[in-house]
Amino acid sequence: MKLARMGSFHQTRLSFMRTLLRRLKKEKWQFERKLWEIGADGFGRAVYTVSGPERSYSLVAFSHDLPDHKRSDRVIATAWDATFTLFDGVPDTADLDRLQINVPKQEAGRISDSELSLSRANHSVRLWQHVIERLSNGQQPDRNQVESVGYLVRTTAVYGSGKFGAADRLTIYQRAEVSGPFQAELLSVWLIRAFSIDLVEHIARAIGGDRAVTISPDLRRRIGVGNATGLGMAPFLINHPALINNWMVAREEAIARVRSLADASGEAVNDFNHHFELAKFNLSQWHSEHPIQIKKLGQLNADLKKMSTYIETESLVENHPWDRFYLWAEKNLSLEGQEQLVSLMLEPYGELVDDLSQCMDADEHLSFFIDGAMGVGRLLEIIEAQCDWAIRVDYQQKQNRARFWYTSAEKLEPRVGERFDEPGAEFEQPLSIGLFIKQLYQTLHEWDPRQSIADLLLAHPEHRHTVRRLQTLATHPYSEIRDNLIAADMLPIDLLRCKLSFFGATKFDPRSDRWVRICMYQDAPYPNEMLATAR
Amino acid sequence: MKQKYTLGEVESHVRKASQATGLGWGLSEEAGKAARWLAAFDLPGPEISLAHLQQLDGKNYKKYFPANIDTRWQAQGDYLCPIVSGAALADRAGQMLAGTEFKLGEIAYPLLLVATIGQAARYHKTTFTTSWANIRVNCYENGIRIEGSQDDLLLARVNSASCRHSTDLVPQQLPSTLAYSIEPSIWSAIDALAFETYAPATAESRAGAGAGLTDND
Repeated sequence: MKLARMGSFHQTRLSFMRTLLRRLKKEKWQFERKLWEIGADGFGRAVYTVSGPERSYSLVAFSHDLPDHKRSDRVIATAWDATFTLFDGVPDTADLDRLQINVPKQEAGRISDSELSLSRANHSVRLWQHVIERLSNGQQPDRNQVESVGYLVRTTAVYGSGKFGAADRLTIYQRAEVSGPFQAELLSVWLIRAFSIDLVEHIARAIGGDRAVTISPDLRRRIGVGNATGLGMAPFLINHPALINNWMVAREEAIARVRSLADASGEAVNDFNHHFELAKFNLSQWHSEHPIQIKKLGQLNADLKKMSTYIETESLVENHPWDRFYLWAEKNLSLEGQEQLVSLMLEPYGELVDDLSQCMDADEHLSFFIDGAMGVGRLLEIIEAQCDWAIRVDYQQKQNRARFWYTSAEKLEPRVGERFDEPGAEFEQPLSIGLFIKQLYQTLHEWDPRQSIADLLLAHPEHRHTVRRLQTLATHPYSEIRDNLIAADMLPIDLLRCKLSFFGATKFDPRSDRWVRICMYQDAPYPNEMLATAR
Repeated sequence: MKQKYTLGEVESHVRKASQATGLGWGLSEEAGKAARWLAAFDLPGPEISLAHLQQLDGKNYKKYFPANIDTRWQAQGDYLCPIVSGAALADRAGQMLAGTEFKLGEIAYPLLLVATIGQAARYHKTTFTTSWANIRVNCYENGIRIEGSQDDLLLARVNSASCRHSTDLVPQQLPSTLAYSIEPSIWSAIDALAFETYAPATAESRAGAGAGLTDND
């Protein structure tokens, strides 16, 4: 589990957006735009409700008049084009009025345990005005422009359980439809996408009257929701070791199941080939200005060509075709290409792998407890067997501890600093896991291996959080990122891409080494297409 | 008027406040969990956590660690820290399951001791009993039972406490809330401590909060 590979992940069948939509469809959820109080100027509020077998959830959307100079995706922004919350149930007018006071303020407001997420979005300046102009004049938007941007609005934060007063995660952990990772947040985003389309069409109609048209269905599908993500989500992968382990185990198990197939049906091969063509098309639409990603896209392009040749010359039907293909990829493709293949291999096998999405949650309490009866010797064994990546690093070398993670007082957001060039290292957050493990390792050598961890921790409480992680690692092999997270050459975007690929994002476009734009739900159905209208 | 905070907010704020007062990351995690555990029963975990942290703020924590645990646990300094002692007892849950009863000397806020041991009860799906003054508190896998003098529940300091395994499996009270109501002044004080773990904004940190490229397109 190295950063370079994690930073090359692609979305898969097990990605959380796809899990969510599969469930909504299978369980025949219903959809209704319950409220539309949006003026001709495009400002006001709206409510979108989806209802399942047991419960309803509503996106409450507020559209605001935002001066151009205030529009920023940066987390330090204080105003946005639109703000949202996911309400648990169907809000009444009193709820809406309460939310209207607080939701537009985002972090500076306060929501309640009736809400499950808090988010905001800005218009894509490149596309928003273009689409409105075209539609209001009775024309379709330019396809190239739509596809090159990929979204009308870009979310800049989607906060989940327990944040800013929103319901604690325990509220939903027994609800199958939202207990899986980020299901409530991603439901919000899916409904935000529908709202963005309704809003441009509404404004176009207000301007163009009878002349105005709606977006053609196939072009609509090409519009997803953008997202701009900075370091805010990076520490999550490090702070939830048992959960991340379960994500990775599910993914690895899915790959193993497919690789173990003795042969593949013609139908499965056709399905694979169909998704392979989609991957090629996706790459043709995937743009980045960042040198790192430009290089990776070049590699992926070359990899897809090699894969084309492989597909033409090798059998995908017989003799463990997927295992052979995978082993070939390991030798012949870059990490981008290898991970693309893994994602494609799973596509034909929903029946074989989709059930694994149920294993991607975690009871993190169970990994919180420390087994004090464990011997010092056993802990040493765990480190020596699984943490070579941590103990072989010389942290005296400046480049191996060049960075520090901290939380900014300004927006309470995680950031990365340069230890030897910037102030603030005294506020370092405990994310230098490799260094902690090495420090513990050195301490353990001073102890009798028969002594207990309980005694060790009484004498050395500073190692408590590291012992907790290592005991988790002993039973959760994917709980630690096996890289130095404070090294000079560490790329935070690798962490972001890994997490976002699990969400189901596409078109990763780093804007720096610590900030990435993505597209969500592009080509996915809309609620009114996939779900019956509620009556 | 009291304001509601989610259990997640209680946990993370008390964890940060504990770190700010010098408890260290691992023990601060225990402190956050303990405050959360009590708040879930609508018991004043955040309030007594704050009171305890304020007493210790800036002092040498090691003074409040158990120095001698062979017979009766005693601190090097005036009294035992209940978070440190609770974590050490939780680490010795196996000994309690085997029948050991631990005796502790002077200790602050014994209810925090209960809450820290509560984590072990949940993990082992069993019951641990903590006693002090004229009160006995059982913590279960997912519940609590308070017997004796309620007046003693929130004592700031007691001369002795003890902790052992119990075979009782029937809680009197289950967790009752996911959003804890607290006086704004108390929350502000916790928040102020937590805030000490955040780095003040600098030109460098602001630059790191966004892309080097335009973000308004």
